[in-house]
Amino acid sequence: MSDNKQKVVEIDRSAYEFKDIETEKDFYRMEEGLDEETVLKVSAEKNDPEWMRDFRLKCLKIYNEMEMPKWGPSIEGLDMDRITSYVRHKSEMKNNWEDVPEDIKNTFERLGIPQAERESLAGVGAQYDSELVYHNVKDEVAAQGVIYTDLESAMKTEYADMIKSHFMTLIPPTDHKFAALHGAVWSGGSFVYVPKGVKVDIPLQSYFRLNAAGAGQFEHTLIIVDEGADLHFIEGCSAPKYNVANLHAGAVELFVAKNARLRYSTIENWSKNMYNLNTKRALIEENGIMEWVSGSFGSHTGYLYPMTILKGDHSKMEFTGITFAGKGQNLDTGAKVVHQGVGTTSVINSKSISKDGGIGTYRSSVVIQSSAKKAKASVSCDSLMVDSISRADTIPGMDIRTDDADVGHEAKIGRISDDAIFYLMSRGISEEEAKAMIVSGFANPVSKELPLEYAVEMNNLIKLEMSGH
Amino acid sequence: MNKDLNMKVNVLPVLTYGFLKVNDSTVSESDIKIDSFETPDASKMPQGVDVKRGVDFAKAGEIFIKNKDRIMYTTGEFAGPNADTTGRNDGQAIRTGMGIDVDELMISAGAKCDIYTVEENVKVSEPVIIEYKMKDGEGCISSQVIHAKKDSEISVILVYESEKEFGGFHGISTRLLAEEGAKINIYKIQMLGDKFIHFDDIGGACFKGGSIGVTTLELGAEKTWTGCLVNLVEKDAELISNMGYLVRYNNFLDVNYIADQRGKNTNSVMHAKGVLMDSATKVFRGTIDFKNGSSGSAGDEQEDTLMLSPDVVNRSMPVILCQEEDVDGRHGATIGQLGEDLLFYMQTRGIDEENAKRMMIRARLDSVARTIPDKELEQRVIFYIQNII
Repeated sequence: MSDNKQKVVEIDRSAYEFKDIETEKDFYRMEEGLDEETVLKVSAEKNDPEWMRDFRLKCLKIYNEMEMPKWGPSIEGLDMDRITSYVRHKSEMKNNWEDVPEDIKNTFERLGIPQAERESLAGVGAQYDSELVYHNVKDEVAAQGVIYTDLESAMKTEYADMIKSHFMTLIPPTDHKFAALHGAVWSGGSFVYVPKGVKVDIPLQSYFRLNAAGAGQFEHTLIIVDEGADLHFIEGCSAPKYNVANLHAGAVELFVAKNARLRYSTIENWSKNMYNLNTKRALIEENGIMEWVSGSFGSHTGYLYPMTILKGDHSKMEFTGITFAGKGQNLDTGAKVVHQGVGTTSVINSKSISKDGGIGTYRSSVVIQSSAKKAKASVSCDSLMVDSISRADTIPGMDIRTDDADVGHEAKIGRISDDAIFYLMSRGISEEEAKAMIVSGFANPVSKELPLEYAVEMNNLIKLEMSGH
Repeated sequence: MNKDLNMKVNVLPVLTYGFLKVNDSTVSESDIKIDSFETPDASKMPQGVDVKRGVDFAKAGEIFIKNKDRIMYTTGEFAGPNADTTGRNDGQAIRTGMGIDVDELMISAGAKCDIYTVEENVKVSEPVIIEYKMKDGEGCISSQVIHAKKDSEISVILVYESEKEFGGFHGISTRLLAEEGAKINIYKIQMLGDKFIHFDDIGGACFKGGSIGVTTLELGAEKTWTGCLVNLVEKDAELISNMGYLVRYNNFLDVNYIADQRGKNTNSVMHAKGVLMDSATKVFRGTIDFKNGSSGSAGDEQEDTLMLSPDVVNRSMPVILCQEEDVDGRHGATIGQLGEDLLFYMQTRGIDEENAKRMMIRARLDSVARTIPDKELEQRVIFYIQNII
């Protein structure tokens, strides 16, 4: 067993836990707390157009008037008076990796981002605390007319009107308290536009790193995939662990036009002091396809339910997700779908693993509106309990308003089979390793949906979690 | 007497998204009309059942309060799920599916309770049958406690009916205690008129090797709330519930069933099958709750809903809560209309669509009606089903 532990430790957790020293010389850090002055300062930092500044103030008002959610994990440990909304390195965003400041470059090198860009990505955006520090897209992809840049820059280009007409329309600030907070202090994030008929063969990736202690990250990702286009977008996130709460309240708005397809993959490995209150939503037009692949491993507390609105006739959605809740974690995850169009289809496959006192909750909603004739929805959620000090709860909801829908739902909660462990141990595999292998097998439907490099990372994270490190 | 209050009932054991409108339901004060508090005389009362009539509702709950530590005992360390709401019913003598507001109504209105007791080792072979024949405009609440002592058995059938065009208010609270090795089977058949407001609340506990069976048929009434919570307290305790429903017109059915599994090797089975027609609305909440210490337990929840109109609303919340490793919990739901293959098959046998639908409705409801352990009543219910469809 000790050999196995040694092997597991060698998977290099240090890449995620690595901390940069935040110095006054290199970093600008706004004071903690949230009020109108803070919001105006963020707006000034961003050099916002007037409409955006007004929008931020409106969001702050909504935030102050809204109640905390009553239905999820406790967020009592999150004190907004002790969270700073904006931290940035004093250097500007670069398009050349060599120009990125040494300390930040070092962090992303450890996370393997530049290597991934060279080997398997069409473009990369890297956000460090509140601002993008690097953004680049391969020439051949840019030549196809694909726009992949930071959102703030894009707002000052020919795409300004497109952004204004889409920004926070899918996730309005009235949606929930943390959507309003996001609207008030959002900073960073990416804008992607894939023109009509363009198929991007290899993925784009954004990586979000929150290095500062006691800070919030509020990046906004806006992706528009135009008619007949095709894109795979990968999102990764991590942070070093501190003894104070950090907050991630990002927003992802995805617009998939007629006959287009978007795959959005996430490997989330925030540190275990993070409150991850992220909101993701997609609007799919006629014959469009939305595919979510989601692995949630990090965070202290998580609320994460990517939502898809199947507006167009015959549009489709598939969600494949896994959540690993370990010691001290309360991860409330799942998916939401609204069927509006005729002949729309949704498939949700969710897996969760609870271990060492972790709380894993699968929560979902399937809404089939009366207009969604011939809609089909299928939900499957499996939970694996690794011990008896953890929790695995499944809380799925369905609201069906037409008779010619076809809805199927199944869920299972169980444990790792003793027979399977015995079989593997009889082949000379340690109990720990046998359990890790079985859990990796349980997660296989998710990892097989990821590009190879990310599947390997996900399996490594499973091994790390199973080893208790 | 008209009571002036709203009741918050059928609260989901864990809260979820507000927009789904499933976290709870409200029986509004305007729906509540009470002028009678008593359970009618049993139309069949077999030997071996001791009956105490007209006991004060709170006093009738003392048997549960006396056993409260035993009922709420858990061998493990309890850590609740996110947004746990179960604490709101701690004040009940025994927790029920609809919750504490029903108890408060019963107590404040002065409802009476009949206590049916079966002594140790007595196995009552024939069912007790209690029939409520409601008049137009009548308002009635009443309550029963059924207490099966060690290794005893009892079946009780409660029938609520009225003429089809009648309206009124009818509320029932039934509390069950099955001691070691005891079996309670309760059947509730609701055939009230189209303008009736009805609620039916059940709470129970099973000790070691005890078993509670709950069979319900909801066939009438304009608005119906029904809840059932059974504590499977000790080793090998069991809940088997089987529900059939038909909701038509603009009617409304709201359900909250919970199996609270605390003992080792406990077993729960919750099956619900039904039909929604016209502009009907149905909310079904079913929760299997594996508490820490319930190792070796199993829970199975299945829902099958046939939707026969484009204007129906079906909301389902099949929940599994789990704080124990060695359990097997599963739920499944199938919601939709008749399959095209099935319709085609029927048509090739000369059965048109309307008749095929009638057959499918009957198949769902008759399968529940046929479990009624009284031939005469079974035939009456099947005849009623045949007539209304």
